Amino acid sequence: MSARRLLLFPLTFLASASLLSGCATAVEPATDPVAGGTLVYATGDAEPGCLDPHVGGNYPQALISAQYLESLVSKNSDGEIIPWLATEWSESDDGLSWEFTLRDDVAFTDGTAFDAEAVKVNIEHVKNPETASSTGYLAVGKIDDIEIVEPHLVRFTLSAPDSALLESLSQPWVGIQSPTALEREQAVNCESPVGTGPFVITDWVKQQSITLERNEEYNSAPADAQGSGAALLDSIEWRFIPDAATRYAALQSGDVDVIDNAQPNNISSASNDPAIDELDAPRPGAANRIELNSGKAPFDDVRVREAFIRSVDVNPGIDSLFFGTAQRSYSVLSSIEPAGISLPDEFTTDADAASALLDEAGWDTLDADGYRTKDGERLSLTFPVSTNQSIPAEQSLFEQIQASAKNVGIEIVLQPTDLSSWYGALFTNEYNLVSAPYTKVGADVLRILYHSDSIIPAPSGYYANLAQLSDPELDRILTEASETTDQTERQALYEQAQSIIIDGFYVLPLYDQQNHYLYSTSVEGFRAFPTVSTPTFYDAWLKD
Amino acid sequence: MTDSSDISTDRRTSTPAKRIRTLGWLLRRIGGGVFVLWMVATVIFFALRLIPGDPIDAILGGPGSQASAEAVEKIRLDYGLDQNLIVQYFLAMAKLAVADFGTSYALKIPVAPYVLTQLWSTLVLTIAALLVAWIFALGLTLATSGRGRLARAVGSGLELVAAAVPHFWLASLLIIVLSNTLHWLPPISVAGPLGLVLPVLTLALPLTGFLGQVMRESLINAYEQPFVLSARARGESEWGVRLRHVLRHAALPGISLSGWAFGSLLSGAVVVETIFARPGLGRTLLSAVSIRDIPVVTAVALLSALTFILMTIATDVVDRIVDPRLTKVSEQ
Repeated sequence: MSARRLLLFPLTFLASASLLSGCATAVEPATDPVAGGTLVYATGDAEPGCLDPHVGGNYPQALISAQYLESLVSKNSDGEIIPWLATEWSESDDGLSWEFTLRDDVAFTDGTAFDAEAVKVNIEHVKNPETASSTGYLAVGKIDDIEIVEPHLVRFTLSAPDSALLESLSQPWVGIQSPTALEREQAVNCESPVGTGPFVITDWVKQQSITLERNEEYNSAPADAQGSGAALLDSIEWRFIPDAATRYAALQSGDVDVIDNAQPNNISSASNDPAIDELDAPRPGAANRIELNSGKAPFDDVRVREAFIRSVDVNPGIDSLFFGTAQRSYSVLSSIEPAGISLPDEFTTDADAASALLDEAGWDTLDADGYRTKDGERLSLTFPVSTNQSIPAEQSLFEQIQASAKNVGIEIVLQPTDLSSWYGALFTNEYNLVSAPYTKVGADVLRILYHSDSIIPAPSGYYANLAQLSDPELDRILTEASETTDQTERQALYEQAQSIIIDGFYVLPLYDQQNHYLYSTSVEGFRAFPTVSTPTFYDAWLKD
Repeated sequence: MTDSSDISTDRRTSTPAKRIRTLGWLLRRIGGGVFVLWMVATVIFFALRLIPGDPIDAILGGPGSQASAEAVEKIRLDYGLDQNLIVQYFLAMAKLAVADFGTSYALKIPVAPYVLTQLWSTLVLTIAALLVAWIFALGLTLATSGRGRLARAVGSGLELVAAAVPHFWLASLLIIVLSNTLHWLPPISVAGPLGLVLPVLTLALPLTGFLGQVMRESLINAYEQPFVLSARARGESEWGVRLRHVLRHAALPGISLSGWAFGSLLSGAVVVETIFARPGLGRTLLSAVSIRDIPVVTAVALLSALTFILMTIATDVVDRIVDPRLTKVSEQ
């Protein structure tokens, strides 16, 4: 009996004992965890181009790499950073030097030992322009130098203090890979990256599925996992099923065991299906919100921004279109971010107040179509919508927003486009409203999204500050928060920052970044990592 | 139809002169095909650069990339994206001329072998759909285009409905009925022939409608020809008339339409492969277009065009075999 089975046995024994003592006849028999079997996971996210999440770095890569790569640290459901490949860490008083003590008993699945050298090679790999990393590159941006102090002790020297360093390192985009495997050509490493995780990639049939098999030598589960040895499942078949209705039909028919990107109507009907369970794991970082582009007219006028927010009542739309599966958010941050504050009183709707504000701002005449005008120009707002990112329910919500804005004479022009064209519209500043999800562990996402530095485009044209919020006071607070080592002070600074963003009417929060998994009740022990809410099947097993 | 003789009794005679003419005809078709491929490559090249979105994003891990300046600069140089568009065009055409399709921006692997693996799956799907549509259409028209008014009305009514149904709707309907309710078939493509049933039906049923409509018309025309009357006078049974005399006439427009039909099946494959989660050219194209993976889009478009051209040539050849009057006309 393996160590993990020993650990689980008393638990299940206790559980079945207590059930039996309750009622001997009416209880279904409690089952012990069973090893073996293949779990079929169906993802609605795009098929990654490269399975090495250092390259580029998007959510589809994070989803799958969480099965075979591990990070230095993780995060538990209370939001605390916990040990993973690193057992402990310390920060110098000036915040410019960090030391990580690493596990000395872990090996990559190709036999290479995990040590300080491996960490150094990985961080350098992420920083190397040849890797073309985006997300991981941002995460390790402040690490200037990596020094191997001892075989299992590594020291990072930073260019500036970084209170978000541990949160950044917990993300799958900086998962640690075998240095031996990283020496291979990029195309080869993209097909079969090698990590220390509970599963190993064995096959990839493009546009169809990836096969992952159990790592028998596995011994490096994060501190919040149930087991400690090898995983229970023999293998995972990771299927790409882009159509949401098909994905749900396949779950119902038993062809797949777990699906992601479950749509509101399916979640709602699954709640009446005794064979299907739901896991709601909102993504961290920012809440889904509509950004008001304050960088150009008419939203450069705070009165027009406030009028927009007062004029649109999104709650009825969220209730009806999402079938009660999404909670209205009044926060810039995801509800799983401990630093987030909710300010519902700032988002009251009041059409009269909105009209008065618009009159005051000079939008006081109406044209033939009933829209407000100023100096002969219509109050018209361009709203590019990414059909890849906004699910149908969200697109319908935007249409309802469009209708309620019309009541006060604001025209909203919805422009549904594919992802590349959508970014094109943002990069050329051809938008007044936009909803852009952003996933990152920790409240430092506020600095990425609302520091004025983020208005300056990256070399690829991308910029994260789509509200184009430029406020020196906010900049100062966000920089200070990112450099302070005091947790209480950090929290206070992030609360101030959120107040400034909301009081200035730069954003309209909608709900958390929705991330619902539906799974067959025959799957046990399935959970999502509290870091970026990717699924983990390490503790999962299949009932008969 | 100018000539109303019963082609089923006509026999071909082959002479060297005739064979040379046929070869010339074939060469002209192939030359035309190459020209079409070049045009397709040109249109794809410029169209993909006119739509918003930077191909560099595809190389850097998808739209919204925040890679460093060094990374962007390196890729611009490596992929020749720093050069003038016309220079890029001629370089790209020169490579395509020697069948060098380059490396996928997103997958970093050579495009040609990757796209070829996807081609097989799409060919299986579309050819199976074409065959099934043919069988259904022939069965339906032969069974219902006799003398009975009701049978004709039911037959053409079914064809009209089938031809008008969009793929995505039919796919959802088939999943709900055959998979979720009756539990006969898996809703997603699985290994083995069972997973092929729903995708093939989705593509075949609308096509059955189209094929059936055109076949029915020429079938009814053929019924009114004198050779049918004389066959009946000879004592041929009703099914004998249908199968031995009228069928070829009915099949002719169906064969000509099959080249076009194959093209429509290829475009239908985009929807069907996505809904049933089947690998294939359609799905590859969709994901490549959305991330601006230009080498993959170009290769898929060219391959689809090539398949379409070959299919059209093939249907023309079959047409000439089934209907020798066509060769006669070109001889006059």
